[in-house]
Amino acid sequence: MVKYIIVRTVWIFIVLITILSLNYTLLKLAPEYPPTTEEARGIYYARQVADGYMTERVIDDPTEVQSIRDGEVEFCSNCWAKLEVDSSDNYQFRIYEPVPIVVQYFRWVENVVFDWNWGYSTRVAVNVPVFDVLKERIPVTLQLNLIALFFYIPIGFVLGIIAALRKNTWVDNLISFGVMVFISIPNFVVMTLLLMLLGYQLEWLPTQFPANDIEDFWLQFKGLILPVLGLSFAAIAGLTRVTRAELTEVLTSEFLLLARTKGLTRKQAVIRHAMRNSMVPLVPGIIFSFVGLLSGSVIIERIYSVPGTGRIFLRAMLAGSYDYNVILATTAFYTIITLFAVLLVDLSYGIVDPRIRMGARK
Amino acid sequence: MADEKRNLTSEDFRFVQAEEKIYDKKFDTKPIGYFKDAMIRFGKNRSNVIATSILFLIVLGTIIFPLLSTKNYTLVIPEFSNLPPRMPVVENFGLFDGTSFKEDQPVDLSTIDPETGLGFPIGYESEYIVDGTLKNYIKGCTEASELCQAGENVMRVTSNFDYLSIFSEEVLWVTMSQNPVVKININEIIGEDVTLNVLVKPTTSSDYVVIGSITDTDGIGEYTFNFEDAVTGITPSLIGSKIKLQFVSSDVSSYIVFDTVEVYYDSQDEAIYSYSGFELSEFEYDVEDEFSSGTFSRQNGELLLAEFRYDNYGAALSDKEILAFSAVDYYELIDSYGADCQAYDDPNNVDPEGKLFPDACPIKKIIARNESVIVAGEEYYSYNLILNYAEYKGYTETPYFLFGTDMAGRDLFTLLWVATRTSLIIGVIVASINISVGIVYGSISGYYGGKTDIIMQRFAEVIGRIPWLVTLSIFVALYGPGITTLILILIVSGWIGVASITRTQFYRYKGREYVLASRTLGAKDSRLIFRHILPNGIGTIITSSILTIPYVIFAESTISYLGYGIGHGQSFNILGVKLSGVSVGVLLSDGRAELASRPYLTLFPALLISILMITFNMFGNALRDAFNPALRGSE
Repeated sequence: MVKYIIVRTVWIFIVLITILSLNYTLLKLAPEYPPTTEEARGIYYARQVADGYMTERVIDDPTEVQSIRDGEVEFCSNCWAKLEVDSSDNYQFRIYEPVPIVVQYFRWVENVVFDWNWGYSTRVAVNVPVFDVLKERIPVTLQLNLIALFFYIPIGFVLGIIAALRKNTWVDNLISFGVMVFISIPNFVVMTLLLMLLGYQLEWLPTQFPANDIEDFWLQFKGLILPVLGLSFAAIAGLTRVTRAELTEVLTSEFLLLARTKGLTRKQAVIRHAMRNSMVPLVPGIIFSFVGLLSGSVIIERIYSVPGTGRIFLRAMLAGSYDYNVILATTAFYTIITLFAVLLVDLSYGIVDPRIRMGARK
Repeated sequence: MADEKRNLTSEDFRFVQAEEKIYDKKFDTKPIGYFKDAMIRFGKNRSNVIATSILFLIVLGTIIFPLLSTKNYTLVIPEFSNLPPRMPVVENFGLFDGTSFKEDQPVDLSTIDPETGLGFPIGYESEYIVDGTLKNYIKGCTEASELCQAGENVMRVTSNFDYLSIFSEEVLWVTMSQNPVVKININEIIGEDVTLNVLVKPTTSSDYVVIGSITDTDGIGEYTFNFEDAVTGITPSLIGSKIKLQFVSSDVSSYIVFDTVEVYYDSQDEAIYSYSGFELSEFEYDVEDEFSSGTFSRQNGELLLAEFRYDNYGAALSDKEILAFSAVDYYELIDSYGADCQAYDDPNNVDPEGKLFPDACPIKKIIARNESVIVAGEEYYSYNLILNYAEYKGYTETPYFLFGTDMAGRDLFTLLWVATRTSLIIGVIVASINISVGIVYGSISGYYGGKTDIIMQRFAEVIGRIPWLVTLSIFVALYGPGITTLILILIVSGWIGVASITRTQFYRYKGREYVLASRTLGAKDSRLIFRHILPNGIGTIITSSILTIPYVIFAESTISYLGYGIGHGQSFNILGVKLSGVSVGVLLSDGRAELASRPYLTLFPALLISILMITFNMFGNALRDAFNPALRGSE
């Protein structure tokens, strides 16, 4: 068992590092978008130098400076030059040049691992440490998704159980049809339709996520209804389907027949034997569904103006104004949560299913 | 019956074929093959058959409707923009009849009819407001707008400043002999140690002089102050001054509310200068005084608004003044109408080019000819003219835009089918790429097994674990939004599902005896894969993979909705298929900004994509269940 846990954990870390490295290297190959104002850019590049992603050199030879100013000499293709006047009124160029991407990559790993320094934002919140930008938004997203998680699980279970117990009746057909519908429709379509109906037409709910500083509990509560619903429909449908399938299978199994022949009522047999056994394979699925919710919430946050990580990601992804450090940190956040869920699922399989535990020894 | 005792003797039995030889006999019924068996299973599920028919109709619709459509769905026609849906038959019940309900539209105060007391809204042609639907009502307002009537004005001081000064924009001229007075009506005065000083600056003095003050102890009410108090020495007969109000307070929470400032002559009842409501709010801040800072705002104003039903089609098809109608189009139009468009001079027009046209011509009148521009030796110019849009566009009767038109005046109905076609084609293309890659990958992994399999599985797992946000960010940053990015995102991990199904099939068949037999006969790997294993598994693989198409459509619409996929004005050629840049996701993205005002822009695309996805999934599931009954129910 211990070996199984270690193997899975190490493997997940390998995957994590691979994905993050791939992301970093490929994003570094794309064109740079430093801050727009000259002043902010100066600060940004100075910090890049301090973090080790760039080198700085000064050209103060008057003839060389003049030839650069006249445009005769191209000093380098992907660096940034700043014209300065020194104490004795001479012009000089301060040149910032990026170090090779491989070196940048190792500096980046070092900065992240030892200083928890994810770099500075270039466009979203100019020159603010990226982690600070993200820090305020993570709770919003997590709160929303956890509420959705705890909202959808009981509903999905109950509907699945009802459908399985009333298999092939009109109730089951109705639920199965609803499952088909909601599993098929993209969640942003569901969200848009809900917003249109409940927000704009009936005016029951706010049409935008209320600002965090408003201390009106009722309004905050109402503001959560739409995004939670938008996130939950597909998840409820998915859970209902799996629960129904699992429970149906267990209900036809021999040990349940044995339980009935021993004299248990149907109710007792279902609750004590069928339910428990069908729930076991569902638990890992639920853990993993959180990842699904989280990635679905990106688009929900956009539609409903929720100030969460998804929205900051999309803002950093504005065409022609990419903020790579924010993108990197946000995707790292999503990747870490995803892989952590994968690990939990793997381990829970190991705990739940003895065959996997044995299999570790081969 | 069962208990009844029966006595059977040997006479009850007889030989069937005692004398005959036994040969193989032909089946009386027709044999049922694999496909026929599947089709029978497929046909048994009524709801799946219905879903498949609907899906078939949608696919048919994407081919037929764009071909049949006579309406514009590519060009931008601003005159037809944002027309609401209009459907035959349904319109008689007041639904989708081409009118739209507008509310909270400000009323043009000059159009108020003295008889009915109703005013017409600004920016709408009054003749196309549906009769009897116009209603006016009053709403509170605080903005400094001319439309915001009456109400009160509030003065507050910013913290760390001593007072706030405002003064009238115009100079007030008063004759001193008639005893002019300033009247000010205070409605509320909140705070301690607050004062409102009323000042004037007579021509004789260089500074403003206080003619009266109101403090919080005085309370609310009407106050009158004499102009004379400001004048010292010789009294001139006529003085001109601005009125200045100075609110003195050291507390940001204190404020004063008043509604009118008027100037009267003692002897007359009527004010010579009167400021209230909007006029009063136009008083200017005293920016030259560095000690003065605060806010001067309005409250409890009244805004006259209208709600009504508007005939958008009538308005869009009426005679319209068109600025800069290009001369090329003009001559083309004139030529095509021939004698019907014989222009004659307009006696009333100042412009020498001004012309009138007969009734049969869509152009009614040329107002003016614009200056010409010469580009590369060619002369370009345009006319300002009045054009009847219905005739110009060839509509003899009001057209039916079934789903309305979008912001650019394109017919949403046709556009939606074109968009669905694009989504479907992208779905099929990407799915076929995914299926091909998946089959190849899964075959290799499944056939060779062992270390190859482990390494390939690990690689597939890493690729499959990449969150879509990561793929999205990488491709968008490297290639920018567009079709390339879209397709790359969709295929980067889309093949994994197919690969794992294929692998399972290979594991299932590669140990069979017939494969072993072939191998012992010296068959190569390629022969074993392509002749023996793959053909056996391909049915399962394909039917299970059909579900990748709706998945791809789903993902495509999501990416396009976020703006990283395709968009208006693009067109591409993939594998010989020409596609427009409009997909359902793009249409939904268009509609998002107008969710409140024009829900139909979202409603119809949302419904169509939902139906498409539902039927496609049902079709895919039904197909899979029919071909692999063992998989039924395990989704």
